[in-house]
Amino acid sequence: MTAWINVGRYHLVDPIAYLVAPWAILAFVFLINLVITEAEGGPNPTKALAVIYLCFFGLGILSAGGSLPFGLALGASRRSYYTGTLLLAVALAAADGLGLALLQVAERGTHGWGLALHVFQVSYILAGPWYLTWLTSFVGLTLLFVYGMWYGIIYRRWNRFGLVAFIVGQVAVIRVWIVIVDRGHNWGGAGFSFTPSPMGLTAVLAALAVVLLIGGFALMRRVSV
Amino acid sequence: MTPTISVSGLTRRYRGQRALDDVTFDIDGPSITGLLGRNGAGKTTLMRIIATQEFASAGSVRVLGSSPVENGAVLRRMVLVREDQTFPRLRVRHLLRAASWFYPNWSGGLAEGLVADFNLPLNRNVGGLSRGMRTALGIVIGLAARAEVTMFDEPYAGLDAVARQLFYDRMLADFTDHPRTMLVSTHLIDEAADLLERVLVIDQGRIVLDAAADDLRGAATTVSGTVDAVEEFAAGRAVWDRRSIGSQESVVVSGVLDDDDRARARQLRLSLTPLSLQQLVSQVPGRSNQDLKEDQSA
Repeated sequence: MTAWINVGRYHLVDPIAYLVAPWAILAFVFLINLVITEAEGGPNPTKALAVIYLCFFGLGILSAGGSLPFGLALGASRRSYYTGTLLLAVALAAADGLGLALLQVAERGTHGWGLALHVFQVSYILAGPWYLTWLTSFVGLTLLFVYGMWYGIIYRRWNRFGLVAFIVGQVAVIRVWIVIVDRGHNWGGAGFSFTPSPMGLTAVLAALAVVLLIGGFALMRRVSV
Repeated sequence: MTPTISVSGLTRRYRGQRALDDVTFDIDGPSITGLLGRNGAGKTTLMRIIATQEFASAGSVRVLGSSPVENGAVLRRMVLVREDQTFPRLRVRHLLRAASWFYPNWSGGLAEGLVADFNLPLNRNVGGLSRGMRTALGIVIGLAARAEVTMFDEPYAGLDAVARQLFYDRMLADFTDHPRTMLVSTHLIDEAADLLERVLVIDQGRIVLDAAADDLRGAATTVSGTVDAVEEFAAGRAVWDRRSIGSQESVVVSGVLDDDDRARARQLRLSLTPLSLQQLVSQVPGRSNQDLKEDQSA
C-alpha cells in the first residue's frame, strides 16, 4: 500500500502535468471556442472536449514511458508501479470526470454560456443527466490513460519496432473490420447487430478498459529498463 | 551467514550472444567491491539483473536472502545508480524529493551536503543539466538513499577529476559511518583502487577473477633490464607478458617477490615495478582464477 502511494506521489511530485495541464489546455481551447462562437454566432457544437481525453492519453504514455525507468530505479516493483499508477489514473479520472459533469450542468444552465456553445455536451454519448456524464467521462478518461500506458509499456519492451508493429496491428484490425462491415452492407449498425444505448456504449468502453488494464499488467511484468 | 548478494549460474543471452555466462559469486556483509572490466564485458547487465531492471536467461540472484524479483521488501533496501540512468523531465529538487519517499534510510542532510558539494542547481529541470550534473544527481541519490545494497555503475560519466575525487571521498566517508554492501563498476580502476576491498573482474560475460584487493597488490611485478639479466631472473617464474627492444627486455612476472628476490634483482641491475590494479586487471583476461592462485603460490 505504501509503495502504491509512493508511486502516486512520484507522478504528482510536480503537479503541473497531471493536475494543471489538462485543465489549462481545456480552458484555453474553451476560450478560443467562446471567442469564435461570439464572433460567428451559435449554435456551435464543438469537439473541444476531446483535448482532455488526449491529455489523459499523453499522461498514460508519460507514466509508462518517461517516468518508468526512474520509478524502477527507486526500488518500485513493476507490480507496485503499475498498480500505483493505475490508482492515480482512476482517482484523477473520477475527479476530472466530476469536473466535466459539473461544467456540463453549468453549460446547460447558462444555455451554452449564453451563446449556444456546446463544449461539455456531446450529442448521444455525453447528453444525459450529470451522473451518467460523470460515469462516461470517468470510463473514457481511464480508458485513454490505460491505452496510453500500453504505448509506453510496448516501447519499453520492444522499442520502436514494437511500437510500429502495435500501431500497424491496430490499423490492420480496423481495416479488416471495415471490409467485413462493408461487404455485409451493415454500416447502419457499424457491425453490431444492435445499436447500443449511450449507457451500453459506456459499458462497452468500460469492458475494453478492463481488458487493456489486465493486458497492460501482463505486459508490464516483463518490462526491462 | 546469508550472503548479502548471492549470484549463481547467472546467464543472459541476447539474440544468441551471451552477455553473461554462468556468473557465480557471493558478497558477504558490508564491503566495497569493485566490478571491473572493459566496456561491454557485462558489468551493467549484471548489475541490472541484480536490481531486477533486467531478467536473467538462466541462474539465480538472491539479495539479503531472498529473490529480489518483484520483492518490494528487498527492492527498497537496494539502489542502483547507472551511468545511463534515464530521468523524467522534472526539476532536481522534485527528483530528490521523490527519491526520499522510497528509501527508508534516506538522509536529507547528506543529500543537501552533496548537492552543495557538486553545485547542483535544485530548481533546474534535469533536461537542462550537463552530463556531469546528471551523473552527480545519480551519486547524490545513490549515497543519500543509504540502501543496504548500494550499486554504482560507472558513476563518473562527465565528471572531471576533482568531482570524481569528491565522489570517492564522500563515498568512503559515508561508508565508514554507515557500513553497507557497495558494488561499484568502473574501468578507471587505479582511481578507485584504494577504496576497494574486493575485486571481481568480468570479461566477455564471465567472472575471470574474484579476489581480495590486498591479495592483488604486489601480485605481479614488471621486471626491466638487459635481456640476459631479465631472462636469468625470470627463469622458473610464471611470466604473463614479455616485451623487448634491442638489448632491453621487460617481463611481467606473477607472484609476490620476497627480500631475496629483490636482492637478486639489485645484483642484476634490474628495475622492479609492482603492477597497479589497472595493469593487473588488463593482464587477467585469458587466465582463470585458479591459474592466478597457482601463479601466486608458485
